[in-house]
Amino acid sequence: MRRRRRLTDRVFWALCGLAFLVIAAPSVSVIVSVFHQAFPALGWQLFTQTTTGQGIQNAILGTLLLLLGVLIVAGSVGVAAGVYLAEYAAGRSAAVLRFFSEVLAGTPSIVIGYIGYVTLVVEFHWGYSLLAAVLALSVLVMPYIVKTTEVALRQVPTTLREGTAGLGMPRSASLRRVLMPVALPGIMSGLVVALAISTGELAPLLFTANASDQDPSFSLFHHSVPYLTNVVYTDLSLPGRRYRATSAAAGLISLAILVILIALGRILSGRARRQTARMSL
Amino acid sequence: MKRFVPLALVVPLAIAAGCSSSAKSSTGSTTTTPGSSGSSSPASAASATVNMNLGNPAGPVTVTEAGSSLLYPYLQELVTPLHAAYSNVTLTLAAGGSGKGISDAIAGTTQLGGSDAYLSNSQLTANPGLMNIPVAVSSQAVDYNLPGVTNLKLSGDVLAKIYEGTIKTWNDPAITALNPGVTLPSKAIVPVRRVDSSGDTFLFTSFLSATNPTWSNGPGFGTTVSWPTVSTEETASGNPGMVQTCSTTPGCVAYIGISAQSTAQTAGLGEAELQNKDGSFVQPSSTTVLAAVSAGAGSVPANLAGSLIYEPGSTSYPIVNFEYIVVKKQQSSADAAQAIRDFLGFTISPSGGSSPTYLTKDQFQALPDSVVPKVESAIASIQ
Amino acid sequence: MTAILERPGPPGPPEPLSERARRRAELTTKDRVVRGGLAVAGIIPTAALLFLTYQMVRQAIPAIRFNGWHFFQTKTFNLGAQYGNPVTRHGEQALPKAQFGVLAMLFGTVVSSLIALALAVPVSVGGAILLVEKLPARVQNVLGVFLELLAGIPSVVFGLWGVYTLGPVLHRTVFRWISDIGIPWFDGRTGNGQGLASASVVLAVMIVPIIASITRELVRSVPVISKEGAVALGLTPAESVRFVTIPYVRTGVVAAAVLGWARALGETIAVLLISGNAVTIPHSVFDPFTTMAASIAALLDGALQDSTGMDVHALAEVGLVLLGVTMVTNFAGRLLTRRFSDAGLPVGRGV
Repeated sequence: MRRRRRLTDRVFWALCGLAFLVIAAPSVSVIVSVFHQAFPALGWQLFTQTTTGQGIQNAILGTLLLLLGVLIVAGSVGVAAGVYLAEYAAGRSAAVLRFFSEVLAGTPSIVIGYIGYVTLVVEFHWGYSLLAAVLALSVLVMPYIVKTTEVALRQVPTTLREGTAGLGMPRSASLRRVLMPVALPGIMSGLVVALAISTGELAPLLFTANASDQDPSFSLFHHSVPYLTNVVYTDLSLPGRRYRATSAAAGLISLAILVILIALGRILSGRARRQTARMSL
Repeated sequence: MKRFVPLALVVPLAIAAGCSSSAKSSTGSTTTTPGSSGSSSPASAASATVNMNLGNPAGPVTVTEAGSSLLYPYLQELVTPLHAAYSNVTLTLAAGGSGKGISDAIAGTTQLGGSDAYLSNSQLTANPGLMNIPVAVSSQAVDYNLPGVTNLKLSGDVLAKIYEGTIKTWNDPAITALNPGVTLPSKAIVPVRRVDSSGDTFLFTSFLSATNPTWSNGPGFGTTVSWPTVSTEETASGNPGMVQTCSTTPGCVAYIGISAQSTAQTAGLGEAELQNKDGSFVQPSSTTVLAAVSAGAGSVPANLAGSLIYEPGSTSYPIVNFEYIVVKKQQSSADAAQAIRDFLGFTISPSGGSSPTYLTKDQFQALPDSVVPKVESAIASIQ
Repeated sequence: MTAILERPGPPGPPEPLSERARRRAELTTKDRVVRGGLAVAGIIPTAALLFLTYQMVRQAIPAIRFNGWHFFQTKTFNLGAQYGNPVTRHGEQALPKAQFGVLAMLFGTVVSSLIALALAVPVSVGGAILLVEKLPARVQNVLGVFLELLAGIPSVVFGLWGVYTLGPVLHRTVFRWISDIGIPWFDGRTGNGQGLASASVVLAVMIVPIIASITRELVRSVPVISKEGAVALGLTPAESVRFVTIPYVRTGVVAAAVLGWARALGETIAVLLISGNAVTIPHSVFDPFTTMAASIAALLDGALQDSTGMDVHALAEVGLVLLGVTMVTNFAGRLLTRRFSDAGLPVGRGV
């Protein structure tokens, strides 16, 4: 009897170990395979030449430009919305707004891309544009910023809030001077998450930013924006071995950006956790 | 402290700004003197029969093109010589498929649409100011993966039946009848088709429609068609995808654009000999393509939306097409119109884009002389 | 005493400030302006969602009129003869032979997501349990990186990996073995590795991080007292998991699975690359298929060439169905999920 239980125990953990490997293996495999395919195209020309030549400089700059745009638009609106939900909103209306925000999070990105095209690009006559692309991405990632901001603010101990009320500070000042600085690491890790998602997106951008050999520019309208995931996708359909390697190289660079963002996110959330722990005593 | 701009204020302003904005931004850098790069001389208007009013525009202009992935590598080579010839013109390209090229040109999200397919009547009627301007001649081959079988002969009718699923194996009587003396295996045929809306699909399905009435009444032709379900069928994206899928699948047959033929042959694929309208079996080569073009050039309509598929002639190759640039007659500014005319004029000029230096790499041919005047008048009408 | 036994887990809702204290703090005009501005921002996500839904409905209406109920009964999705002359039916213009049906796409979407879920849930739960219960904390941290990495890899990279690496391997090995067994629907040609089975596997890999990270948090929050009780009773670790951990996390895992399913439903690019794009109901699990999201992305260029515009409206109708299915799933998922906070890469991303 005991032997059977011990055997079951071992089998169970062996299966769990297998499950774990199944989780770990793909991420390793993906990175290795991307690296392998990108190898022929690796070199400094990736950063110095644009897609007209052998490089992807315009795509890298374009992606960074999009990230900046998302940070500005989704960052400001998302954080503000999160602050509102955490600090100001009453019970019922807050629940409704929060609910809709989370439903928005689940919207398929192709739907956002499709509507972005028919509405912003065509109907509003913006053309393939930076603004259309940034808005599409922002709508996609905003719910995450809202949620993490709200969570970060809620983790600020109530004693701090009551302290500011006791001092007679107006709400806005208490927010600005006390609450936001404390919640900042958590908020920033949320922003980092949003940026990570934006780096890897393709569907919402296919029809709003479009593919291009152009250099990215700060003009908001009628100027398509090159970006990395598009190079990955489009270069597959182009004849010649070098295009396939360039496509993988673009994938590699976007993975590199992702890794940087993950590391940044961990540092920030670690800091947030430590801060909360310190303040909870 | 976070400061934010209420989006509610930004949005209406942005819409207003967007609607009134029509200026094309420029990213081109100015070079010193045209022709100093030495790779080509500027297209001379003197050799053209119609005055297209070419010349360097007053200020720097960026011309945007998007579309056919077949045309893309060819146009990429022209970017630098064009800029050298007309220092204020910068060409920026995007691939995305012929279908996208046409739809983008219609929607106005790009100035020029690159397409292997001409515009349809309904598209021309719905968009009166739209033109398709041929700039080169291209062709398409049908490749197969049957190790040991060289010089396979196929006809459009047989291919249509293969893609319909009625002919399932290589040793089917219909195929062996075309290939006397060749032993064909009893392997299953794996037809490969394109998934993206592509000019190659347009050409292939046009060929099938021209040779097989069931196909013509059924799926018809277009950059996207409703393919019949064939159990062994596979799909691929882009010409490289077609090459890759076919080379790893014994028994496959695939339609692959001419500029990808060298890759296809290195991958071990054979190029089929197709039966032309006169009954002979030909492979795509400059002779056979030119024969088709000469036969078909006379019947190109005034709107230049002409098919060169299945032309008569004993040496004509059956799958030949014009490569088109889809463009609106009315441009937003005189400079933009000028730059576009320069680009088009340069591309069709024998000393510019239509010189063998650029054409042979992608196995394109120059436009036939009989068509050039019509093309030039079309270019001249861009204002 | 409780501070020793309990670990700081995910935070609950904040203790509400008394109304009077709150109102007293909102005295200045500046406060009211700030509050107003923040309220506007707060409404924006809801407004965006409503805008999206409204536009989708608006774009789909001509197609709804044109298709009627046949939309849900037809398997094929034919954009029509692009070079033919437009015809009119039910008061709407379209290309000849145009016939739109969402059945094949709906089938593909639901089935691929369900298979992905069936593969992902046991793997995620098993892996998460192992991670929390058996492995030391430092290893947990390092290996948690894999989950975040998986969650962040762009779907286009997943698609490529599926087409060039995973697909060929699976098609030569596992699929061939399964096909040889000869169960109906699991037999047939294994093709070139693109099809329902490969796509479901890739989808499973993509939703594992969602389910695993939530499960990890859940398992971590199982009270130590219960686990100590199990040890005291002489249960083996596996039995402790079965009788203590699983019942505790069960609802949460279901909620996580629903979120993962929602993500799989909306996945576009990876499926587009590895599904084989056949708008038909597959006869076997190795056949090519399509999903609603992938079809929209694949057919949009072709649809834009239709001068009557009906093709684009038909795709909007597909999008509307997709939106409806995803929203229902999300609705169910959010109702089940409670207070799961995670500062890592997010869950429920409908990409």
